Order: sequence, then structure tokens, then C-alpha cells
Amino acid sequence: MGKKSNIRNFCIIAHIDHGKSTLADRLMERTGQVSERDMEAQLLDSMDIERERGITIKLTPVRMFYKAKNGEEYEFNLIDTPGHVDFTYEVSRSLAACEGAILIVDASQGVEAQTLANVYLALENNLEILPVINKIDLPSARPDEAKAEIEEVIGLDASNAPLVSAKEGIGIDDVLEAIVTAFPAPEGDETAPLKALIFDSYYDNYKGVILFVRIKQGAVKAGDRIKTFRSDKIYEVVETGVFSPNLTAKNGLSAGEVGYIAASIKSIQDVAVGDTVMNADQPAGEPLPGYKKVQSVVFCGIYPLDGSKFNDLKDAILKLQLNDASLIFEADSSVALGFGFRCGFLGLLHMEIMQERIEREFGLEIITTAPSVSYKVIKTDGEEIFVDNPSHLPPVSEIEHMEEPIVKADIYSPPDYLGQIMDLCREKRGVFLGMTYLDKSRVQLEYHLPLNEIIFDFFDQIKSRTRGYASFDYELIGYERSKLVKLDIMLNGDVCDALSMIVHEDSAYARGRMLCENLKEAIPRQLFEVPVQAAIGGKIIARETVKAVRKDVLAKCYGGDITRKKKLLEKQKEGKKRMRQIGNVEVPSEVFMQILKTNKD
Amino acid sequence: MAGIYVHIPFCKSKCTYCDFTSFPDKLCYAESYMACVYREMAMRAPELKDYSFETLYIGGGTPSVIDEKYIAMLVAAAKKHFNLSPLAEITIEINPGTVSAGKIALYEKCGVNRYSVGLQTAVDAQLEDIGRIHNLKDFLNCAKLLKGKNFSTDVMIGLKNQTAADVEFSIRTAAEAGASHISMYALTPEDGTPIYTDYLNGELPSADEVADLYAAGLKVLRSLGYERYEVSNFCKKGKQSRHNLNYWKRGEYIGFGVAASSCINNVRTTNTFDLDEYFKCILSNRFPVINREEVDADGAEEEYIMLALRTAEGLNLTEFARLFGCDFLTKYAEAYKKTADYVEVSEDRFKIRDEFLFVQNSIIIEYLNAKV
Repeated sequence: MGKKSNIRNFCIIAHIDHGKSTLADRLMERTGQVSERDMEAQLLDSMDIERERGITIKLTPVRMFYKAKNGEEYEFNLIDTPGHVDFTYEVSRSLAACEGAILIVDASQGVEAQTLANVYLALENNLEILPVINKIDLPSARPDEAKAEIEEVIGLDASNAPLVSAKEGIGIDDVLEAIVTAFPAPEGDETAPLKALIFDSYYDNYKGVILFVRIKQGAVKAGDRIKTFRSDKIYEVVETGVFSPNLTAKNGLSAGEVGYIAASIKSIQDVAVGDTVMNADQPAGEPLPGYKKVQSVVFCGIYPLDGSKFNDLKDAILKLQLNDASLIFEADSSVALGFGFRCGFLGLLHMEIMQERIEREFGLEIITTAPSVSYKVIKTDGEEIFVDNPSHLPPVSEIEHMEEPIVKADIYSPPDYLGQIMDLCREKRGVFLGMTYLDKSRVQLEYHLPLNEIIFDFFDQIKSRTRGYASFDYELIGYERSKLVKLDIMLNGDVCDALSMIVHEDSAYARGRMLCENLKEAIPRQLFEVPVQAAIGGKIIARETVKAVRKDVLAKCYGGDITRKKKLLEKQKEGKKRMRQIGNVEVPSEVFMQILKTNKD
Repeated sequence: MAGIYVHIPFCKSKCTYCDFTSFPDKLCYAESYMACVYREMAMRAPELKDYSFETLYIGGGTPSVIDEKYIAMLVAAAKKHFNLSPLAEITIEINPGTVSAGKIALYEKCGVNRYSVGLQTAVDAQLEDIGRIHNLKDFLNCAKLLKGKNFSTDVMIGLKNQTAADVEFSIRTAAEAGASHISMYALTPEDGTPIYTDYLNGELPSADEVADLYAAGLKVLRSLGYERYEVSNFCKKGKQSRHNLNYWKRGEYIGFGVAASSCINNVRTTNTFDLDEYFKCILSNRFPVINREEVDADGAEEEYIMLALRTAEGLNLTEFARLFGCDFLTKYAEAYKKTADYVEVSEDRFKIRDEFLFVQNSIIIEYLNAKV
């Protein structure tokens, strides 16, 4: 192509709400990628969930053309990245496809902790970083302080950082020009054997698996026979193309370019994100370095509401995994819920998003169990195992001791709510590390907290106790020995495996009581009395009773009523489909999630 | 066995719980309306010429609110157009506030042999609260007129502030007045009725309290010699409502008038609920049917089970096998196993156990489930 020197591949790093998607939209608009008129708010966040929540979950690539002041035309490939800490994995994938990263810093808020993590990730990947000061239109903007902070905290020269307001469209040209000058052109020999990094993929019903690739060396075009490094299957390329931002066919991609390959790949399992695409007739020797493996932090069981939909659920999870390799799963079964999957996620938000995507994008109704973390169990015979499913915990007699994952949490809040936050952290077994006044209106609190306390309504609590003002970040720092017990729930005398959880001994009683109270409300009355009990190792610690139903009859059933009454009964019967039979007790599916809500204390 | 139902959609005023089709302000149309009913009968007569009818039930509304001569003409029309058995049970619903000796005399003369009296409660304050036009004294007067005749009395449970003693008092009042049959049914607050706001405000007894009222009523009824033959219906020996039993046996019936329903040859139809529309249809020789549903074999079976299990004697296994060509207990083995504690099989009968009749829905739906 020879024009490789005119390609710039880059991504944008920013803290949530610092204006990443808005800036991306401006860049596209200014390069004529989309007209202002056609612009729906925040183009790149195309998933419903992303728009609704105002966050970016998936990386999305887009190609733009820019005529620089030197008269040359440049091809820009922007790969949008998620900002939330749960999605660091996504970020690392897009970084590997770029040479540069725009770092957006809010002119009034300065550098945020989360942003820092991604900046370091970018530096590790040898990316050039271009700082951009955004939101300069705000009255509270202090661009000079923000610049100083960048230099001080990150050690980057910020003197030439463009000052922009993505919202108002100020300074966008400076950014475009800086992209040309600050970021290097991609390297790579076009004539060498093909090596393309798969940084994302998704399944298209007509074209099969679509691979999102960055060509590192060589070239690929329709008709080529390709294979991936890890699989021996050979595919013929049907189409290549670029993102504008929709898929747009373009014959041939060569070193330095970012685009997609469609090759009628039917099986999702055959192509993994992070793998290297090669030419089957001229294979390159070594694969490209893949991605840093990520560790799942939160786990839960996902079961189809309708037991017969197990295979549909499996397909859905496979397809989601195709473009989110951080989702891990294995088949699992529960006495209460039947066949399903045990899934691992990068965090709570990741888990929620995945659950929502399964329901929305695949139209499946699912039951999810309480989230759990992975505990380290040291058995009496010295063996060390990890257990994320409470029902797989070995018998107490075989456990020497257990360890639980601990996180370092940074909580940011106005000073007014310090008391409430400290109370909450104390309740959650937190260890106070320190406190820093960032400025008059913001304090940073550092805590060590057990992860299993965080997954149990910590977010809701911190938001409600601080009226939504506090924000919070955490990272896993290791395992600590802890007094943990398995809390079982018994319905009418039978243990319900799907409701078991591992909790700290000190909170077991309170948790057991709360679970029993919530279950009592959530389980409909049956024809017999149902005792709901919480137990630790066979010892009952709490009990509630769901009384037997006493009136359940349709009054007067004469002539014209018969059809109507039949419909009422059929509706009631329909409702039973949402029930799970546990022993002889019928439990609504929602119960498995609802019980986690703390009482309205 | 088949029955005839005629709906009289008029009343003096609407009770606060009433969800039936009835027009308190349109009594002036009674004559034209009845003329249309006679005509509707004539319209349907040819297709029903091979049927013999065992019961005629005149319900409402308040049939006793219209001039008794229309009732006489109605019975005459029914006899003229259909094979109504000479021993047919002919029932009319009456409101204690709208009867007179003359009315009863004419009803008798034209062949009415059973009365259904809407007492609802013998506590005057409660009668007033639910918007009844009569009081206890009216009922006692009415009962005097019905002395020696076969009559049923309705008693409601689940009224605002109702106690077990109130229910007991109402039942004893009906019994002492000579009722051979008592319907004790729970108030169902329907959306759109005035009492629904009481329900929303939590002023009506809870389901558990209704269950207590029912249990108290059941005890008194039994002590007074009334047997329960359906979840809400009690009678002295041999005094069941044959017309209603026919519904629960999934027999055929033909309905005339607005909002009346029919079930003939597995086709369920419902007449229009709109009075004007009803007039228009009849006057232009069209059937006033707004809803028609053909019940297939599975649907019929489902209805049969659902209705039979309302009754104390339950489902007749031999008849079930004859009607549906399969053995009930085999086909529903799974549901039977699941509900074994709540049902019983004795000889030829499958029924819900006495103490679970008031929680029958949960049991019945197991038998509907088994089919899907």
C-alpha cells in the first residue's frame, strides 16, 4: 500500500464521564465520517445497555480520513475502549492493536485513579500517549492544574496538550493535528507472511464469525486461505473490510491496517481473541504475543428459566464469549435449578452486563444465583483448592482453614459522608488504611475489604448512604486467612443448594436471619406450612415460617364464568412455570436474586 | 340434561360489589327487552328442537324488579319454544326489597318452583354498606311470603367489618326463615366496582380472615343440617340446585338476554353486554352473540376436571373414561402423586378432600398442568 506512513492507530483512555465517547463522536464528525445531522447521541456506544447506562462496555473500532495541515491525507483507526475497571481486559486488547493513546483528563477533576491504571497499561504496551484536557468550557475548569497533575503524577509532558471542549466542539482540530504528529505510523513488512492479531470478534448470522484484526505484517485479501495459530482449520477469506463505523467491505488489508475478516467461520470455538491469523499456504513462524490472561473475580450460576432452553443458553454464552474472552464458564448442575453454567466475571458490573445481554440479545429468561468469590481452601491433607461454588465446599472435617480474597478499595466522597462510609466499611469488615483530602470537596479513603462483602450490596449501600455522591474503585490484592462458614438454607427441611453461601462467621447469624426473612416474603404460600431455616453445619441459626394458604378458590362459577375462570386458572398455571420445585416447595425463580437485597433497615 | 338461563339486566340500584350486567336506570325498557328475549328464544328454537330441558333459571340483575307478568310470559315462551320437562326446576332470583304477595302468587301460578333470595347478610349496617335496597325486616317479610316453598338464600362472606358471629347470624336467620338451600360465597372485589376501593384501602377482610369466616359458616351450616355439595353451596337433603349442578357437570345450557352465555355441543357463546346492541340484533333477526369459542377435546376435558373438582362428590371416574376415552388416574398419575395428600379416591369418585376444598385452585392447576 506504501501509504503506511499515513496510518495512525490509536485508542482513547479516560475516566468514566470525562467525555471519551463525546470526543470520539467529534473526531468522526469533523473528519466527515458522519454528518452532524445523522449523529445519534454517542455513536460508538451502540449497545442499548451502553446508551442507557452511559458507559462503554465493548471496544468499537472506527476508521476516519483526515487531511492534515501538511497537505497529506491520513487514515485514522480509532479503537474505543471501556473505562470501567471491570473492563481492563478489553482495554488491553485494544491497546495491542494501537501505536498511540489519547489520554483525556477532565479540566476540573484532574487525573483519576482508574485512568492511571489504563495509562500504565498503555505505557507497558509501548504506546505513545497524547494528553488532552477536556471540558475547558466548564466554569470550574482549571486546565493548568490538570496539566501540572499529568506531569507530576504520570510524568508526561503536557505542555502541548490540546485544550478542548468535546461538548462544544472546541479544539477538535488541534487534537486531529496532534494525532498526526504525536503518534508514530505503524511498522511491519507488507511483503512478509501474514500475521494479524485478533482483537475482537462477533457472530454474524449471514457471514459467520467476523474477526476484528490488526494486521501486524503481510497482507490478506478475499480468496486467501487462512488459519489461526492455535487451530488447524483452514478457511477461505470471503470478505475483508474496515469500520466506518459500520462494516464496509474493502478488498485487501495490509500491514499497519485495522479491519475485519469474514471467512465463513461457523464455529465460535475455533477462533479465540488474542490469537494470530496466518496465511495457510505461507504460514509465519511465531504467533504474536497474546493478551495478559485475566482472572475472574466474581462467580455466579446462570440457569435457563425454562429447563428445556439449556442449549439456547449455551449458544448465547458461547456467542458472548466470542467477543468477550474474559467471560469464563463451565457446565454446572444444581439440585434446585437443574442444568446451567457456572460463570466467572471480572467484577460485579461485568456480571450484571452479561446477565442483561443474555436476556436482551438472546431473548432468554435466566435465573442467576447469588454472586460468590473464589475462596482458597487449605485441606487437612495439605492440598490447596479454590472454591467459588459454595455447594462444592469440602466437608468441614477436611478443611484445615480457608482464605478469602481481599481488595484494596479507594472510596471518593465529599467530606460530609465520611462517617457513613466509615460505618459501612466497619460493618463490612474493612481495615482502614488512610485518608487523603484531594481538595476541599473530595476525600479519598483507602480500605482493605474482603471481596465477598463488596459483592453483597456494598454498591447499593455506599450509594444510598452518600446520596450517590461517593464513588468507588477496587483492585484485588491477595488472599487472607479468615473464619468462613457455609450458610445453608433449608426449605421444609431440605437444603437448597442454589441458596447456599459462604460467609464470615461473625456475620452468619445476621445474614441467616435476613435471608430467612426475605425468603418468607418471597415464597408464596403453599398448601402446607413451609419452615425456612438457615443452618451452619447442621445447626439451625434462624427460622421463619411461610404459613399454609387457606383460601384459594374462585367464587361463584356459573354459566358465563366458566371460560373466564378457566383462563384465570390457566394464568395461574402459567405462573407456575416460573417456579422451581425444591423438595416439595415451589419457589419463584426471582427468589434466587431477590434474597440478596438487604432489609430496608 | 340441559338448562335454560335468562338474564334480566335490571335492578333498582347497583350494589357496591356488583360486577354483573345490570342497568338500574333502564327499567323503562323492560317491556321491549322481554319482547326481545321471547323473540331470541323463537330464533334459537329450531336448532334446539331435539333437546329436552330440565331447568329454567331466571337470573339478573333483579328479575323480581320487573312486572311479574313478563315472568309469566317468559315461562310460557320457554315452554312454547323448547321441550321443558313438566318436572323442570324453575328458579327465579328475587330481591327481598322488591317482592309482594301478588308477585309470588303469579310466579307460582306460571310454574316457578324455586326461589333464590339475595339476603347477603342479616346485619343491617352491612346491608347498607354494600348498597342493598333491603334490610333484615324486608327479608323476614319475604321469607313469610315464601313459607313452605323451596327457596335458597345467598350469604356473602368477606364484607367490611364482618365477624364470624355476623356470618353465623346470617346463616341462622336464613335457616330459621326456612331456606332449603344456602349459597355462602366469598366477596370478590372486582376492579371497577365501588367496593374495589375498600379493597385497595385494605378495609376488607384478608384472605386468611375470609378463610376463618368460611370455616365458621361451614360449621354452623353443618350443625343446621345443610350439606356442602359444592364449595359455596349447601342444602338440605335432595335440595341441590339442579340448574347449577348442570354447570359443574359440564352439561349443556342455553342463555337468553344480554350477557347470557350458552354452551351447546361444545360451543361456548356469549351475548352482547350492550343493551342497545342487543335490541338491534334481535330486531334485525341476528343472534346477539359477541363471542364464540369452540371447545376442543382437550379444552372440554380441562373444563370437566376444573368444574367437577368444585363439587363435594368430585369427579366420576367412569363417566370421565366414557367421555374422554382414558383412565383419569393413569393419565394424571403425576399430578395425583403430587397432590396425594389433598385428594381422595373412593370407589368411582375422585375428589378434593373436604378440608382442602377451599384451597382448590392450587390443587386443580396441577391437573391442568399435567396436560401441557
